[in-house]
Amino acid sequence: MTILTHTCIESAQDERRGEKDVILSVKNISKKFCKTLRRSMAYGIIDLSKNLVGIKPDSTQLRRDEFWALDNIKFELRRGEVLGLIGVNGSGKTTLLRLLAGIFPPDKGEISIKGRTGALIAVGAGFHPHMTGRENIRLNSAILGMSRMEIDSKFQDIVDFAEIGTFLDSPVGTYSSGMRVRLGFSIATAIQPDLLLLDEILAVGDRKFIAKCYNRIGNARARGATIFVSHNMSQINRICTSVLLLHQGKIAFYGSTNEGVQLYNSLCSLGNTERFVHTAPEIRFDDFRISSEKLDWRDDLSFQVKFASTVDIENCRARMVIVDETGQNVAEWQGRNHGKTYNIKRGENVIEDRIPNISFRDSKYYLTFVLNPPDGFSYLILANRYCSFIMTGCGYGVTDHQL
Amino acid sequence: MAETIITYKPNQRHELGFFKTWMVMAENIVKSKELIWQLFKRDFFASYKKSFIGITWMFLAPIMGIVSWVFLKKTGILHPGDVGIPYPAYVLIGTSIWGLFMGFYGSARATLSAGSSLVMQVNYPHEALLFKQTAQHLAAFLITFAMNIVVLLIFKVIPSWGIILFPVVALPLFFLGAGIGLVLSMVSVVAVDINKVVTMGLGLLMWITPVIYSDNVKSPIVQILIKWNPLTYLVCSARDVIIYGRLYSPPGYFICTGLSLLVFMIAWRLFYVSEGKVIERMV
Repeated sequence: MTILTHTCIESAQDERRGEKDVILSVKNISKKFCKTLRRSMAYGIIDLSKNLVGIKPDSTQLRRDEFWALDNIKFELRRGEVLGLIGVNGSGKTTLLRLLAGIFPPDKGEISIKGRTGALIAVGAGFHPHMTGRENIRLNSAILGMSRMEIDSKFQDIVDFAEIGTFLDSPVGTYSSGMRVRLGFSIATAIQPDLLLLDEILAVGDRKFIAKCYNRIGNARARGATIFVSHNMSQINRICTSVLLLHQGKIAFYGSTNEGVQLYNSLCSLGNTERFVHTAPEIRFDDFRISSEKLDWRDDLSFQVKFASTVDIENCRARMVIVDETGQNVAEWQGRNHGKTYNIKRGENVIEDRIPNISFRDSKYYLTFVLNPPDGFSYLILANRYCSFIMTGCGYGVTDHQL
Repeated sequence: MAETIITYKPNQRHELGFFKTWMVMAENIVKSKELIWQLFKRDFFASYKKSFIGITWMFLAPIMGIVSWVFLKKTGILHPGDVGIPYPAYVLIGTSIWGLFMGFYGSARATLSAGSSLVMQVNYPHEALLFKQTAQHLAAFLITFAMNIVVLLIFKVIPSWGIILFPVVALPLFFLGAGIGLVLSMVSVVAVDINKVVTMGLGLLMWITPVIYSDNVKSPIVQILIKWNPLTYLVCSARDVIIYGRLYSPPGYFICTGLSLLVFMIAWRLFYVSEGKVIERMV
């Protein structure tokens, strides 16, 4: 009997703890927008008139020219979690943040948030350019809902973190964009929210500031949950505990960071659209191939380029650029780094070499081969993203190069 | 500490009872007093930050009005009959009260647009903007008004003791002006035309309100218009309480006060229920 009671209490406590941990619960929310301005205004008047006579407008049906900007979004966020919100431009990330911040009402579904929300959707919204940093801190803190006492107690903390220093009494209009971002971020995180919403804030700001932001977000993790929008996948990889990938207003993926980031990369992949070959008039390009299209971590990569020339050219330079799916340059191989120059003869030519020990993280990579004449930068051959290989066996890391 | 749970869902604000709305909004106003003060400071003082003489400008504008009053008085152009005090003084007070009403309307109409840089980025009670706007208007009005009174005293026009009741008597002007303005602040986002029509209409209304003339007009049509114009009772009572220390037609004044309050309450509720849908159209 005693044991039974004990178990009951324990499970009740577990339940309570579990409930308490959920900071944000998003239940099947949808949001519609209108494509044309005139119709959007007309619907606005209709809805307003309905409200005036006390009728609830039905927001669950699409009217002409309307579309779902967010469609049936559901997820939960617990204390300590950092959710990376990713997706290509126009996938609905900022709209979702605005809904979570309570700026727009949802058209379907329900959002519930436990505690205080801090949102940094546009940095320094409400900064007045003619007012000093000091005055703007007071103003922006009040906008974010701080009381006078709270502002007084956090003022120094905000100033210190933002590193405004001697410019505290200069008008904000004279600040650099980085300084403005620092000030905005500093104020938004000073309220110590339970739910922190950050929209691409780390895109601006220098390295040092970004590092400080990581620390702040890390501290915020202990207190609450964070949603973090970024197009920088190594940032996402570094901070986030899970990822929500939006695509055309729908959830394309919700789960582990690695998988989500890979999916995002494949969405951003330009595919083979950039595969082309450009040659000088005296060159005829025949082939560019690599030893294998699947590489294991630390495998060697052999390649071979075949072409024909109508003239002799001595001391040519060959190089090869490796890019990832998003088009980011990952690595470059140059013949001259290995003491190699190439003498092109009239007729058929072959250039081949072997790059040892390829140690990239798991992903797909594209190869661009370039042959330059000795005197300059014109192209004898440019075989852009001609070959590709898939790397496996390393796992997913934060950086492309895994040592 | 019990943590509050905030919920967002469609048509959420409709579910709040009709009378509860005003309590919630009044609560929001009290909670946002720091915000109202900061926004007021920003917009009232920051507009003069780049000027050398600063807020002296605020005193220069009313002086222009007074100069024209002195001019009218000296030339003796206006002598349409006995209104108890020098006629230009009657006009000066009347028009400044009309200006008070139009200011209430104008500042309420700018409620959403005054925060346009903010409303898309931060969630905060937008009711605060209405009060910040009104406070800004009142501050400017008080400066003008005080200077007018000083000038009147110099010219030996002594206001009645009723002037101490002026803030109370003028309150319906706020209710009516802010009520119409709040609705317009939303309508102007979705329909610019209606906004223009109403603003023009209110401007015309001054001519059928006995502000620059006394209600002792001959034309029967004008007399009917004056009689049915609620602003006649509100504006003229505010003026008469200063000049004569009495209300202009008390029954009419009290009926119009009730109506103004009703307009304001309905407008406030409408604002509360609809602002979300309007804001998403502020592109």
